[in-house]
Amino acid sequence: MPEVAGTPPLVYRDVPLLGRPDRLFNLTLQPGEVVAAVGEENSGVEVLGDLALGLVAPASGAVEVFGLPIAALSYYDLLVFRRRLGYLPPGDGLLQNLSLRDNVALPVRFATDHRLREVDAKVTQLIEDFRLRAIAGLRPAQANEEDRRRAAAARAVALDPKLVVLELPFVGLTSRAAMDLLERVSKNEQGGRRTVLLTSRDLTPSVRGLVSRAVRVVDGVASEDVK
Amino acid sequence: MLRVLINQIRFTALQAIFLVAFLAAILAFLVISQSIRQLGRFGAIDNLGTIMVVAVIRELGPLLTALIVVSRSGTAIAAEMATNRVMGEVTALEAMGIDPYIYLVLPRMLGAIVSVATLMVVFDAVALTSGFVAAATTGMSLTRYTGIVLKTLSAGDVWLTLVKGIFFGAAVAVFCSYHGLAVKAGPTEIPQAVTRGVVATIVAIFIMSALFVVIAT
Repeated sequence: MPEVAGTPPLVYRDVPLLGRPDRLFNLTLQPGEVVAAVGEENSGVEVLGDLALGLVAPASGAVEVFGLPIAALSYYDLLVFRRRLGYLPPGDGLLQNLSLRDNVALPVRFATDHRLREVDAKVTQLIEDFRLRAIAGLRPAQANEEDRRRAAAARAVALDPKLVVLELPFVGLTSRAAMDLLERVSKNEQGGRRTVLLTSRDLTPSVRGLVSRAVRVVDGVASEDVK
Repeated sequence: MLRVLINQIRFTALQAIFLVAFLAAILAFLVISQSIRQLGRFGAIDNLGTIMVVAVIRELGPLLTALIVVSRSGTAIAAEMATNRVMGEVTALEAMGIDPYIYLVLPRMLGAIVSVATLMVVFDAVALTSGFVAAATTGMSLTRYTGIVLKTLSAGDVWLTLVKGIFFGAAVAVFCSYHGLAVKAGPTEIPQAVTRGVVATIVAIFIMSALFVVIAT
C-alpha cells in the first residue's frame, strides 16, 4: 500500500461524525502540523481517532491517510498500513500482562523484522527518551497515570511514524506533563516534526502554545479555530 | 508470543498435572476395583483389560482431562480475552498493526493443544498404574495384569489419545477465546462470556467424543 506522494497526511472530507448528513466534518492536516480537535463529550470528537485508524468506516464522505481512503482497505492491508501510524488510545490501551518496557517493545517486535539486539537498543532509547527507565519493569497497574500515558506514547512512536493520533492524551495530567508528552511525541527520530492529531475536551494555555492549529468540534462540525 | 505460549503450557499442563494424576488414580482405582468384583463373579476377569482400555483410556480419560482443562484454563482464557477486549487492548493491538488473533489466540491454542495431549498421556499412565494397584489388592500379579491390558491396548489407542488431545485442546482455546473476544458492553459481561465459553466447549467436547466413537467404529 504505497502512500500517494504530495498528499496531506490526514484528510477528513464531508464525514458525518454523529451520523447526521447535515453535519459534516472537514479537516486537513498538513505535514508537520500539530492539530488539536477540541470537543465536549458526544460532540463527535471521540470518533476522529477510530476513523483515522480505519477502526470504523465513515457512513459517507472519506477519510484519507497519506492519500489512501483508509476505509477501503481490507482487514489485513489495514493492519499493515497502521504500522505507519502512531496511536495513543483513550486511557492508554497498554497490555496489562506486560511490563511497560514490553508494551513499548511490542510494535517493534511484531511489526518489524529487527533482530533481537536491534529491538532492545530501540526500546532502550525510547525508554530513555520518555523517562521511563526507573519504572520500565512495572506492570501498567503498578504505575501511575502519567507514567502509563508516557509508556503508551512511547509505544505510539516506537516505529517512528509520520502521523500520530492521540486521543484524549492529557486527561489526568498536569499542564507540565501534558506539554512534555506532546513535545516528545511531535518530534521524529531525525529531530523533525511529526504530523499530530490530538483530541481533547479542553486545551490549557501552555499546551495551546505547542499546537499549530486548534479546531472546536461542535455537533459533529469543526466550527471555529480556538487557538 | 513464545512467552505467552510457554506461560500457557505452564499454567494449563504443568500446574494441572497433580490434579489430573489424582483424578486418574481415583477413577481407575474405582473402576477396576468394582470391575474385578463383578467380573470375578462370572469368571470373566480377563475382560478387565477391555474395561480399562475402552472405558478409562479411550473415553473417560480424554473427557475428564478436557473437562479439567476447561474448568481451569478455559475459564482463564475466556476471562483474559474478555478483559483484553473491555480494557481496549484488542483495539490497541489492531491499531498497532498486530493481528490480535495471531498475538492473543494462536499461542493459547497451541499451548492448550500441547497441554491437553500431554495431560491425556499422563492420565493414561497414572490410570494404568492405579488400575494395577486395584487389581493387586485382589491378588492379581503384575504379569497377569499387564497381559490382560496389553491384549486390548493397541497403538491405535495411543494415536487416538493424541488426536483427541489436539481436537479437545483446540476446542478449549477457540471456543473460550471466541466468547471472550465477543464481549462488547463492559466488565459486567465478563462472567457471562466465561460461562458461555465453558458451556460451548463442554458441549463441543462431548459431541467430538461421540464423533470419534462413530468414526473409530
